[in-house]
Amino acid sequence: MARIEELYEAVLTGDKSTAEEVTRHAIGTSVDPQALIDQSMIPAMDEVGRRFEEEEYFVPELLLSARAMKAALKIVNPLLSESGGKHKGCIVLGTVKGDLHDIGKNLVSSMLEGAGFRVVDLGTDVSPEQFVAAVEENDANLIGISALLTATMPSMKSTIEALEAAGIRNRVKVMVGGAPLSTDYAKEINADAYADNANAAVRTAQDLTGA
Amino acid sequence: MNGRERILTALEVREPDRVPLYIHGINEESIIGIGKRVTDGLPDPKQFYDMTEPERLKLVDALFLIHEEFGVDGMTSFEINQLRDLDATHAEDDWHVVYERSPHGLPVVCGHPIEDAAALDLYTAPEPRREHLLLLDLARERFQGEKALFWLMRGAFVLSWRLAGMSNLMIQMHEDPGFVHRIAEMTTVFNLKMLELLAEAGLDVLVIEDDIADTKTTLISPRHFCEFVNPYNRRLVDRAHELGLKVVRHSDGNLWKLMDTLLDSGYDGLNPLEPQAGMTMERVKAYCGDRLCLLGNIDCAELLPNGTPEQVDAAVRRAITDGGQGGGLIICSSNSLHPGVDPDNCIAMFHATRKYGAYEKN
Repeated sequence: MARIEELYEAVLTGDKSTAEEVTRHAIGTSVDPQALIDQSMIPAMDEVGRRFEEEEYFVPELLLSARAMKAALKIVNPLLSESGGKHKGCIVLGTVKGDLHDIGKNLVSSMLEGAGFRVVDLGTDVSPEQFVAAVEENDANLIGISALLTATMPSMKSTIEALEAAGIRNRVKVMVGGAPLSTDYAKEINADAYADNANAAVRTAQDLTGA
Repeated sequence: MNGRERILTALEVREPDRVPLYIHGINEESIIGIGKRVTDGLPDPKQFYDMTEPERLKLVDALFLIHEEFGVDGMTSFEINQLRDLDATHAEDDWHVVYERSPHGLPVVCGHPIEDAAALDLYTAPEPRREHLLLLDLARERFQGEKALFWLMRGAFVLSWRLAGMSNLMIQMHEDPGFVHRIAEMTTVFNLKMLELLAEAGLDVLVIEDDIADTKTTLISPRHFCEFVNPYNRRLVDRAHELGLKVVRHSDGNLWKLMDTLLDSGYDGLNPLEPQAGMTMERVKAYCGDRLCLLGNIDCAELLPNGTPEQVDAAVRRAITDGGQGGGLIICSSNSLHPGVDPDNCIAMFHATRKYGAYEKN
């Protein structure tokens, strides 16, 4: 139990080396890896999200906690695979065609990985066809599309239309984000959700996937 | 009053003859879109680096004409021609920060030369180059003191994250604060040298452009801001004042958590007051409108791209009603006139400022 509490604290405070050390030690003493995730890591990231919403934590603290969580997951994940465990879901992320901005998208990627999702990050300037191909190749259940420019926002709609044309829109949820976007715009282009920051993206992903 | 006098009076939080007008930043496409209303022979929209020399000269002339024809009181300059091509789509600046060219606006940072303290040990900072002030020189010659000359200088946070990477810099604020301080110090030494060149070149207003917030709150905590950012930018403020310049602080986003710190730092003005980020004119004016000049607030995220000229007219009128009392107001958009804005709406903003901006004579 002490190890579980230590891991919770390490993730909460973004202490990567302690998170790794505690995780290795716990696994060495036959602690259930799924219990480490369910009782330490996820509650810790929930608390990180709460502190972010309350403006006790800011982006640097999110990054540190996500990094600690990812480091611990890296140790735990192979054991989960052996025991039949699996990720919460697979998310394809990318910035739309014509748009090269990636700071916000990268932060969302880190946070989603930290929350236990498998993330396929396609980078920037991603065409609708690339999104479709990645969803099919990875059997993704969610895509996150980012845009910073009003000039590139229409490519979000094109991407959703490409998913429809490929016949896979009904099996993949779409969330969108980026400075010029809004909930209204998300509805207008038939996206499933809009997230206005990295923590909201995690909550939205959890809601959309039922994770 | 001429434009320069109007701007400087507003920055002293006094009433000029009328509310001044200012363009904080403007992309090629918007210069061309608005410029076609006042001149012929402009190229089709494309990026500055893709233009021929005659097209570049025409673009700069159109920018100046926009200021003259629409009574824009201050002209913003910034470094041009400072990037060296690396390949067809990438370029780097004197700091060796790498950019990817974008067809839709400013080049986007994609490579950072200083990952950690060891890399910083081996790094040599560039020196400011006088030839990078070309746009300021051209503006000074063109306007001959009729308009206030502004310069966009990136502050400690933006220059630091460009050098180290945003996520890396933020993590190092916790893990290696000395590294973050060393980078901030290096960028500040550069900026202080640049400031001397700018003052000699006839600058009126320094704009410290250092985005630190999103629409919800600050990117970093107020504690980190006070440790790693503000003390460095404040040195620029102090030196600019010694050189007789006014200083405007620019940051996107919701700045309420930092407002008292910014007010105590000696800035003469605050820009761009994004309404979507809670920086409404009425609220900011009530909080600090008697202490510093407010520049901005005309929504460029939704209104200028998708609104009507009538709606823009109403927004300008409202901003002047909410923020004009006692002076200390300069109308401009809530960020740059980016490629998405409608030229007719920009022109409506210019006209409305003249229409509603007159102060009654005491």
